[in-house]
Amino acid sequence: MILLRLISWPYAKKHLQRWLLTISGIALGVGVFAGMHTANLGVLAAFQRTIDRIAGQAQLQVSAGEAGFDEEVLERVRAIPGVRAAAAVIEATVSTPAGNLLILGVDMLGDRSMRSYDLESADDVLEDPLVFLAQPDSILLAKTFAEKNGLALNSRFPMRTMEGDRVFVVRGLMRPGGMAEAFGGSLAVMDLFAAQKFLGRGRKFDRIDVALDEGADPDGAGERLRAALGPGFEVEPPQSRGRHFEETSRMYSVASRITSVFALVIGMFLIYNTLAVAVIQRRTEIGVLRALGATRGQIRTLFLAESAVAGAWGSLAGAALGILLARGASAYIGGMLTTIYGVPLAGESAPDLRLLAVAVGAGVVTSVLAGWLPAHAASSVDPVAALKRGRVQSLGRSESRWRMRIALGMALFSSLALLFEANAYIFYLGFVLSALAAAMLTPLFSKAMAKWLRPLFAKLLPVEGTLAADSILQAPRRAAGTIAALMLSVSLVVALGGLARASHGAIRQWADIALNPDFFVTAAETVTARTFTFPAALADGLRTVEGVEEVQPVRTLRVTVKNGGVLLMAADVAAIERRAKLPAVEGDSATMYPETAAGRGVLASEGFIKLHGARLGETLEIPSPSGIVRLPIVGVVRDFSDQRGSLLISRDLYRKAWNDETVSIFRVYLRKDADHTATRDRILAKFGQTSRLFVLTNRDIRRFIDQVTEQWFGLTYIQIAVALSVAVLGVVNALTVSIAERRRELGMIQAVGGLRSQVRRMVWTEALTVGGIGLALGLALGVVTLFYALAISRRDLIGTDIGFAYPWQTAAILIPVIAAASFAASLGPAESAVRGPVSEALEYE
Amino acid sequence: MNRLALALVSFAPLLAQPAPTGAREIMEEVQRRQKAASLHYEGTLEVSGGGGRVATKSWVFDRIGSFGESRSVLRFTVPAEVKGVALLIVNHPDRASDQWIWRPAIGREQRVAIQDRSTRFFGTDFSFEDLEERDLNQFEFRLASSEGANWVLDAKPKKASQYETTKVTVSKDRYTVTQVECFGKKGLVRTIQYRDFERIKNIWTARTVEVADAQRNSRTTLRYDRVDYNLAMRESDFTVDALRRR
Repeated sequence: MILLRLISWPYAKKHLQRWLLTISGIALGVGVFAGMHTANLGVLAAFQRTIDRIAGQAQLQVSAGEAGFDEEVLERVRAIPGVRAAAAVIEATVSTPAGNLLILGVDMLGDRSMRSYDLESADDVLEDPLVFLAQPDSILLAKTFAEKNGLALNSRFPMRTMEGDRVFVVRGLMRPGGMAEAFGGSLAVMDLFAAQKFLGRGRKFDRIDVALDEGADPDGAGERLRAALGPGFEVEPPQSRGRHFEETSRMYSVASRITSVFALVIGMFLIYNTLAVAVIQRRTEIGVLRALGATRGQIRTLFLAESAVAGAWGSLAGAALGILLARGASAYIGGMLTTIYGVPLAGESAPDLRLLAVAVGAGVVTSVLAGWLPAHAASSVDPVAALKRGRVQSLGRSESRWRMRIALGMALFSSLALLFEANAYIFYLGFVLSALAAAMLTPLFSKAMAKWLRPLFAKLLPVEGTLAADSILQAPRRAAGTIAALMLSVSLVVALGGLARASHGAIRQWADIALNPDFFVTAAETVTARTFTFPAALADGLRTVEGVEEVQPVRTLRVTVKNGGVLLMAADVAAIERRAKLPAVEGDSATMYPETAAGRGVLASEGFIKLHGARLGETLEIPSPSGIVRLPIVGVVRDFSDQRGSLLISRDLYRKAWNDETVSIFRVYLRKDADHTATRDRILAKFGQTSRLFVLTNRDIRRFIDQVTEQWFGLTYIQIAVALSVAVLGVVNALTVSIAERRRELGMIQAVGGLRSQVRRMVWTEALTVGGIGLALGLALGVVTLFYALAISRRDLIGTDIGFAYPWQTAAILIPVIAAASFAASLGPAESAVRGPVSEALEYE
Repeated sequence: MNRLALALVSFAPLLAQPAPTGAREIMEEVQRRQKAASLHYEGTLEVSGGGGRVATKSWVFDRIGSFGESRSVLRFTVPAEVKGVALLIVNHPDRASDQWIWRPAIGREQRVAIQDRSTRFFGTDFSFEDLEERDLNQFEFRLASSEGANWVLDAKPKKASQYETTKVTVSKDRYTVTQVECFGKKGLVRTIQYRDFERIKNIWTARTVEVADAQRNSRTTLRYDRVDYNLAMRESDFTVDALRRR
C-alpha cells in the first residue's frame, strides 16, 4: 500500500492521460460485457415476468404444440385428482393501429380462479360478465395501453381478425401492475369463445392453465396429467415457456457472449500494453527499489496491484457504461424478437447487481491477468543492469523463442481442436487459443511487417517514414498490445461479416428453390407468426381467382422432437417436389419425396440432424394429439425455415394425426401471363374483407428474410464500433507512450532543423502504421476466426454448413475506417509532440 | 341448500297428512307439496350494489320434471344487449347438475364447469350452484329448532359444495321455506328470504325472493310474474340442441 502511494501514484499522476486511456480500454470491455448481458437478461426476464403475470395462479400448463387441442380435453384435465381449477386459454398476437397486441382469450365465467384482473371503475365486467359474453366484441385493455392510444371505456378499437376487420369495444381497463404489465401493457383480454371465433381456432384451445389443490405436489399432478392425456400433450410449469424462448434466442446469446468476451480480451491487451511499457520506462526506478532491498515478490505485487487498481476503476466505469449500453441494446433485441415472434416484448434493462458484480470481477481479474507478464518482467529486472543508462526495448532472443514456441503450440492445438468439433471444451479452448497464439506472435509479426514497410516508407517519406518504422522496430512491445487488440477486434468483425455473408449466400440459394411461389397468402404479416390459421376450404376459393395456377396449402407448427423444439411443416409433398424440390444432402432424392408424400417418412433439414443428433434412417417420434407418430428420416435437405431445424411430412398424415384441417400458409403460383398486381388485388378483394388475410409477394418474403438475417448480424455493427474504439484508444495510448519516450529524440530532430510538420507527419505515419499492421493481421486472423465462427454456427446455432465466404466487402470498409480512426487518434499526440520548448525536450531522459 | 330452497319457490299443495317429526320428513313434505310436472314464470331481478346502483335483468324460466331430475331453461329478455342468452340446467339425483350457457352472438353453447359454480350468477347475489336442484339424498338434515311457527333445519351437503352448511327455516302452517342462511368456511355467505306467498294452482308460491350477500353487502331481489304450473312442455325443448334451435 505504501509502495502504491509512494511509487505508483506519482507515476500514474505523471502519465495520467495514458492511464485514463488504459482504464477506458478495460471500461470498454466491461461495458460491452455488462451491457450485452444486461440487455439479454433483461429481455429474457421481461419474457419470464410476462409469463408469470399471465400464468396467474397456474402451476402447470397443458399444451399440444401450436396446433391446439379439442375442447373436451379441458373436462379430462378437470377430472384429474389434485386439479383445483383448470382454465382454457387462447393466445395470439394481433396487429392493430396501435401496434401489435397480445390477445388473451379466457373464460370470463371462471377465470378469476386463475388470474386476478384489477379493473378500474369497479369490477362490473368481471362480476357480471353477461354483457361481455353476450357481446363478443368486448375487450379489456391495459390502462397504460389505452391511455397511450387515447382510448377510454366504451371506446371502439379496430382489429384485424380471422373474420376480417372488426371493431371491438373497450369494456374494461386493467389498472397498471400485475397482468396489465405483461408484454409491456400491449395486452387485451377477450372472452375465450369469442377469441376462438375471431382468431380462427374453431373448437380448439391453445393451452390449459392448471391450479392444483392446496399442498398438491406439482410433479405428481404433472405425471397424472401426462398419463391421462397421452404423449401428444406437454404438461409443464409456466416457467418452462421461458426456456423455450431462451432456446430460440440462443443464436443471439452465443453471438453476444462471443462479442463481449472479445471486448474483454481486447481490454486485457490494452492493459498489458500500458503495463509492459510502464515496466520498461520504470526500469531505473525498479532497479533503485531492488537496490534498496525490495524483493522480487514486492515488485511483482506492486505491479499487479497497479493493474488491479486500474482494472477496478476501469471496471466500475465499464459497469456504468454497460447500464447505458444495455438501454439501447435491449430496445434493439426487443425489436428484433418482436419482428421474429410478433410478440410485443419490452426489453427491460434494469441493472442486475449480480451481473454487474461479475462484470466488475471479470474486469479486475482480466486486468490482473494482463498485468501478470509485465509484473513478472518487472520482478525479473536485474538491479545492476537497470541502473545503467539507456533503454531496453527489443525482445530478448530467448524470450522471442519462448514466446514463439508457446504460440506455435497453441496454434497447433487450435488447429487440432477443429477435428474434435463434437467436444465443446476442446473446441472452444481451441478457439480461445487461436486468438491467444495470434496475440503472442503479434510483436514478432509487427516487427517483421515494420521491417518490410521501412524501405517503402523511405521512398515515400524519407525522413518521417523511416523514423516512424524505426520507432516500431526499436520498441515492438510498445505498439504490440495495441496491434494485438486491433487485430482481435478486426478479426471478429471479419468473422461476423463472413458469417453474415455465408448465411446470406446459403439462405438466398435455398430461397431461390424453396421460396419460389409468386405469392404467400398468410394470416399474419410475417411468415414466421403461426398464431392464426386458415380453414382448408380457402384453398378452393383461391384456386378460383383469375390468374392463379396452383395453390399449395402448408401447415407449420412447432413440435418437440428429440427433446428440442423443431418446426414441423405439413404439405402436399408431391406438389412441393414438383415445384420446389430441394437437393438431397443425404438420402436418395428420387425416392425420399415420394416416400414422404405417401406418409411413410419424414424429410429432415440438415440443421435438425446436426442440432438434435439425428441421422438418416432413424425413426423419429413426433408427438401429436392422437399419440406418437413414428416416421423414419428418409432424406436430409438444406432448409433454413427455422434456425432450430425443420421436418417436412405429408399433409394427409398431419390432418389425420393432429385432427387439424387448418392451413398456415398458401403457396400460390400464378399463370405465366397473369398480372401479379391485379391478381393480388383480386385475392384481397374476394377474401380480405371476410378473413384476416395477407398476400405477401415473393419479394416481400425475401425482404423479410434479409431483414431478419440482417438483424441477427446487427451485432457486427456493435463489433465494428468496438473495433473503432479500440483503434482510437490503442493508437492514442501507443502514440502517447511513444512520444513521451522519445521526447529527447523528437527534440533532437527539431534542434537539428526538423520542421514541426515533419514531426507531425512522423507521428501520423506511426499511427497509420500501427493501425495498418493491426488491420492486416486482423484481416488475416479473421480467416481463422471465421473458420471457427462457421464451426460454432454449424455445431451450436443452425446446424448447417453454410460454406466459407471471406467478407471482402467488410474488409474493404474496414481499411478506410481503421485508417481514419488511427489518423484521428494521432492528431492529439502529434500536437503534443511538437508543443513545448525544444531545450526541455533535449534535457528529458 | 339454498339451491334446494330456490327450487321451492313454489310449493306443492298442502295436503292433509300426519305431521312429520324428523328434519328429513319435513323436507320431504315440503317437496311433496310443491311438486309439479312443469313450472313457468317470468322473473325480474334487481341487483342493488354499492353507491346506490341498481341493475335490472329479466328472464323467462321454464322447468320440466321433478326434483332432482328436472331440466330448466332460463332465457334472458332484458336488457336488450343480453337478450337471447340462455342457461340450460340438467339436474341429476346423484351428482351436480350439468349447465350450459347459450350465446346467440357467437352461435354456440358454453359449458359451465363445476369449478365455476361458486361464482356469482351474472352479477346477481346468487351463485350458479344456487340454481341447481339436488335430491334430498344429497344432504344430511338435522332439526335444530321447532319452537314457534317455524322449524329450523340444518342441512349439510354430502357432495362438494361451496357451503359447509345451510340453515333452512320452514313455516309450520304452509310447509314453505321462508329463509335459507348459507354458511361457508368463514361464516355466513348469503341469506335468502322468501316473501309475498300466493297460492297458485294449489301450490304456495313466493312471489319475491331476496338474496343478501353477507360479504359484499349487496342485495338481489327476484320478482316472479306469470307463474304457472303443470303447463304442457316437451322434454326435447330442454336440450343443448334445443338451445341451438331457438
